[in-house]
Amino acid sequence: MTVGSLEITGLRKEFGGVIALAGVDVSIELDRIIGIIGPNGSGKTTLFNIVAGVHKPTAGSVLWQGKDITGKPAYQIARMGVVRTFQQAMSYPGLSLRENVQIAFEHGRSRRHADKQKWDSPDEILDFVGLAGLGAEIAGSMPFGNLRRLGVAVALGANPLLLLLDEPAAGLSENETTELCELILRFPKLGIGVCLIDHDMYLMSTLCERLVVLNFGTKIAEGPPNIVLNDPKVTEVYLGNEI
Amino acid sequence: MMSPRPSRQEIVAAVVVLVFLVSFPWLNPGYRYLSLAITTGITSIALYGLGIQFGQAGIMSVGHAAFIGIGAYTAAILAGRLGVGFWLALPCSTLLSAVFAGLIGLPSLRVGGQHYIIITFCFCALFDLALTNGGTFTGAATGLDVGSIDPIFGLNFDQLRNSYYLVVVMLLICLLATYLMMNSSYGRTLRAIRENEPLARAVGINTALHKIGALMVSGAFAGTAGILQAYYLRHISPGLYGPFPSLYLALMVMLGGARLLYGPLAGAIIVSFLPEILKLDPIDSRIAYGIGLLVVILLLPGGVSSGLLEIYRWLMSGRRR
Repeated sequence: MTVGSLEITGLRKEFGGVIALAGVDVSIELDRIIGIIGPNGSGKTTLFNIVAGVHKPTAGSVLWQGKDITGKPAYQIARMGVVRTFQQAMSYPGLSLRENVQIAFEHGRSRRHADKQKWDSPDEILDFVGLAGLGAEIAGSMPFGNLRRLGVAVALGANPLLLLLDEPAAGLSENETTELCELILRFPKLGIGVCLIDHDMYLMSTLCERLVVLNFGTKIAEGPPNIVLNDPKVTEVYLGNEI
Repeated sequence: MMSPRPSRQEIVAAVVVLVFLVSFPWLNPGYRYLSLAITTGITSIALYGLGIQFGQAGIMSVGHAAFIGIGAYTAAILAGRLGVGFWLALPCSTLLSAVFAGLIGLPSLRVGGQHYIIITFCFCALFDLALTNGGTFTGAATGLDVGSIDPIFGLNFDQLRNSYYLVVVMLLICLLATYLMMNSSYGRTLRAIRENEPLARAVGINTALHKIGALMVSGAFAGTAGILQAYYLRHISPGLYGPFPSLYLALMVMLGGARLLYGPLAGAIIVSFLPEILKLDPIDSRIAYGIGLLVVILLLPGGVSSGLLEIYRWLMSGRRR
C-alpha cells in the first residue's frame, strides 16, 4: 500500500435489509482523477458517505495515508484532508460567499504544516473557481451554476489532499460543465487528488484516468474509460441486454 | 484570522447606546421607571445568551428562564445555607447555569428545530415543578429570600441607582462579549452550524462540541442574569422561572431580532416598557404581544432591529442616489 492514498477494502453497508454496498475494494492514488460510475442506487454516494464519515460501514475498512479512518467522525476526516462536496449544491445560504469559504479556511486541514500554501485567503479561492468579485454577495441569492462553484470553493477552503466530488456537474449547462471540467483538471497539478461521481459519460471519460463501475453495491469493472465503457458488463447495466 | 475593525456606524451606535444607558438615571425616570429599567437590563443579559444560541448557532429554546432560575436559586441557596455573599456566588451561579445548559443541550445533538424546542419547554416545566416540590431546600412554592449585595468600593447597592449601574456594567460586559464573539471565527463557526450543519461537519467543524459550547455560553449569561435578579428582587419563587416567563424571553428575542447586536436589548426594552408607556393592563398587553409577534414574523423576520437597519440602509442609499 502506498502512503498518500486512500485504500478501501471489503466495504459493506446495510441499511436494515437493504445492502447498499456488498464488499467493495477501491484504491485511490493522489495526483490523479478517478471516477465512480453506476446506475442510480448502485452505492456510489453511500461509498462517499462512508469515506467522509457520514455513515459507519457494516464491515470493511478505509485507510487514508496508512491510517485507519473507518467510522471516524466527519469533521476529523475533513481535517485529515479528505473533503467531500454534496450532490445538492450545498452552501451556507444566509452568509456571504467570502464567509462561506472562510469558515472552511478556518477549520479544514491545518495550513501551518501544509506542504505548500496554495491559497492565502478565501478571496483567492473564489478567484480560482471563477467567482472573483462576488465575495460580498449572499450565497442564497446566487444562481445555481455559481452555487456549484461555491461548493467546490468551500471544499478547497478546507485545504484538501483528496476531493470527493459528488455529481459536481448535475444541473449544469453544457458551457458550465466544460468550465467545471477545466477547473477539475487543474487540481492534480496542485497536489489535490480527485474522486468524482457523475452520470455525464462525456465528462467522466474526459476527466478520469480510471473508472470504477458499481452495480447493486458491487464493483463490476475497473480500468481506463475507453476500455470500461466498452465492457459488455457495463453496457448491459446501463443499456440492458442486446436483443 | 483577524476580526475586522469596527466600522464608523458600529462605533456611533455603541456610543449612542452607552450614553443612553449611562445617562438614564439622570433623565429623572422616577422610582417606577428606574426599577423597570433594572429588570429590563437583567432580562437583556439573559437575552444576549439566547441571542448567541438562537441568533448565531440557530438553536431556539423556550426554556431559557429555567437557566436564569438555576443562577438565582444557586445564589439564594448559597446565601441561605452557607452564608456566601453576592460576589463569591456570582461565578458559581454563572458556572452552574452553564453546566446545566450544556447538559440539557445534549439532546440537541440528536434532535433539532421544533423537537428540541419541545424538550427545552418540558425541562422548564419540570424545573418549575422541582422547585415547587423542593421542600425547605428550595423554599417550595413560597420561594427563598435573599439579602442585599455586599458593598464594594464603598458603593451601597441598596440604592436603586447603584443597582442600576451594576446591571448596566454587567450588560455592557455581555454586549461586548457578544460583539467579540459575533465578529470572530467563533461566531462564523456558530453561523455555519446554523446555516448548514452537514456542510459544517464536512469542512472540519466539530458541530457537537460547538453546539454544546454555544448553549453553555448562553446558560452562563442566564445564570448571571439570575443572580442579579435574585439580589434585586430580594425574593425568588418558582413562578418566575417556569414556561411562561420563558415564552416571554423567546418573544423578546424574536421581536427585537436575534442576529443583530442590539436586537435582544431592543426586544427587552420594547416588551418591558411599551405596556407601561401605553398604560395597557396585563391582559391587553398579552394580546398586543401576540399580535406584535405575528406582525414581526410575517413582516420583519429578522426582528425590529433588522427592520430598522433595513430602513436606515434604504434611507442612506436614497440619499446617495
